[in-house]
Amino acid sequence: MRGLDLISSLFWLVLSLLVMGQAWHLGIGSVQKPGAGFIAFGTSALLAILSLALFLQARRKKEAVKTAAPRGWAVWQRVGLVLGALFLYSKLMTVGGYLVSTFCLMTFLFWIVERKKLVWPLISSLAATVLTYYLFSRLGCSFPPGLFDF
Amino acid sequence: MGVFDSFLFGFQVVLDPTNLLFCFIGVLIGTLVGVLPGIGPAGAMGLLLPATFSASPTAGIIMLAGIYYGAMYGGSTTSILIKIPGEAASVVTCLDGYQMARQGRAGPALGIAAFGSFIGGTLSIIGLMLIAHPLARVALNFGPPEYFALICTGLITVTYLTQGSVLKSLMMALVGILIGNVGLDLVNALPRFTFGITELEDGVGIVPLVMGLFGISEVLINIEEEARRELFPTRLTHLYPSLKDWAESIGAILRGSVIGFFLGILPGGGAVLSSFVSYAIERKVSKNPERFGQGAIAGVAAPETANNAAAGGSLIPLLSLGIPANPAMAMLFAALIIHGIQPGPFFIKNNPQLFWGLVASMYLGNGLLLLLNLPLIGIWVKLLKVPYRILFPLILLFCLIGAYSVNNSPFDVSLMILCGALGYLMKKFGYDAAPLILAFLLGPILEQALRQSLRISGGSFFIFISRPISGITLGIAFLLLLSNILPFLKKRRRVYEEFKE
Repeated sequence: MRGLDLISSLFWLVLSLLVMGQAWHLGIGSVQKPGAGFIAFGTSALLAILSLALFLQARRKKEAVKTAAPRGWAVWQRVGLVLGALFLYSKLMTVGGYLVSTFCLMTFLFWIVERKKLVWPLISSLAATVLTYYLFSRLGCSFPPGLFDF
Repeated sequence: MGVFDSFLFGFQVVLDPTNLLFCFIGVLIGTLVGVLPGIGPAGAMGLLLPATFSASPTAGIIMLAGIYYGAMYGGSTTSILIKIPGEAASVVTCLDGYQMARQGRAGPALGIAAFGSFIGGTLSIIGLMLIAHPLARVALNFGPPEYFALICTGLITVTYLTQGSVLKSLMMALVGILIGNVGLDLVNALPRFTFGITELEDGVGIVPLVMGLFGISEVLINIEEEARRELFPTRLTHLYPSLKDWAESIGAILRGSVIGFFLGILPGGGAVLSSFVSYAIERKVSKNPERFGQGAIAGVAAPETANNAAAGGSLIPLLSLGIPANPAMAMLFAALIIHGIQPGPFFIKNNPQLFWGLVASMYLGNGLLLLLNLPLIGIWVKLLKVPYRILFPLILLFCLIGAYSVNNSPFDVSLMILCGALGYLMKKFGYDAAPLILAFLLGPILEQALRQSLRISGGSFFIFISRPISGITLGIAFLLLLSNILPFLKKRRRVYEEFKE
């Protein structure tokens, strides 16, 4: 955890400094008349102090003996692929429409863990897509029709 | 109208067929959420929030509350049968529940969990009825300095009571306030941190944020390594505890109700902390503490009662002060706002139908849960056999639909996925999302209260300590920061961390 704390504290430190700069631009105002950036400036200044404290605390800490085996590449790959597919879906759902884009996404998600034959993922994703479309349309949800108009 | 008349009025409201149906759907989904590991009550409430838009506010809130306390009931099943808690509040139930299942006593363990939950839930509703109204009347005297002090203290308490490092929790609360700052300025409508994105001018949506941090991130963690669920081969007979079981559990149930209710009121306390504290206390007061961890029925009764009692307690700060105590209450807060209802001191006065309808629905819901849990345990067990590779795409799909349907906006979907990635990294780096969510919701109220207070006082911070309520509240916050006034809470945190390790 020591290494992770060092990395994350530096991340929050940089972020808080950036927010402080942005808040300064927005205008801090005065104590009598606080401006739009007043709270953001104060909050990010506090965040910077705490990040620094975490960094120093992590530096003092001794590295614990590792007990868990490091995760394999396949695990990170699976998480990365799922996240990538979700991002792609969010960008393409208005273009492809709900039915087409959801069917493609679901086929991929049903397939990704075991990566065996495609028949089962295709059938399950078709069922999931059609059922959710019907159910949520009945509940008043309007899905993007996309280029194919369905 | 007296409390009894109001209560009868509440039953009149909840017995309306639509409200009754929503109550039933809520507790059913809640039980499902509790049974199935992978999505907690806050995520599920966010997911089903859009489904309440076409319903009346009363029906919608009754359903969402049903999901919350229903999840507390359902969580025990997985803890007892497969040692995998359906949600965090049932983690401690694994210790004795699973041991009981191994000894062939899964039935009485599940039975006492259901009865304890029913008793704890019912007693906490009585507490809610008695405390919420007077507290709201006191809160009518609160001005901006009191609200500022109250929120500061609430946020500091959250950072102390949530799991993990206090320093990191404080940092997350600050990040939450910063995310709450995104959007138009409350006073001069100046866009802040929107980076030219029009959709961000209304601020970051609570639904994408909660579903990302609690729904998507949880799925990502789970797909790293598909949990191997092995159901312990046990025959589920004799679900009803024997007289001996009752004699061993009744004290634990009553103590668990009181502990759960009062810890539920505390910001950040909620169901998780109350289940741990009640278990630790039960072990301490027991004549046979060595039996805890070996299948003591009181070790199942106490935490399961406490987490349900906490559900009723945590409604008090939300409905009387407008301050959500945990992420699930934050979703209820968001639902009320979306339906055009402001939670706070005027809530009960202006919405008696909703308040008393909700109270009565919780009585009814607890009864329904008892009926659902005991006879249907076989069905819940069968559901546990559904592999996660089938469940996770469906959970993700429901999250995507939920995020999209709030504003029909693909931007919200992208935002939710981004929050999901952030939540995943936060889990990996040991940061807790609960303080972030609460600070995000309370941040704008905190800012408004601070700015108004400073304008009233002409820029003097003395206003916060010169007024008795805010002075005392801030004093408590300061003492909490100095930390050593609550060693027992620290001890409980250590117990929790040791257990986690």
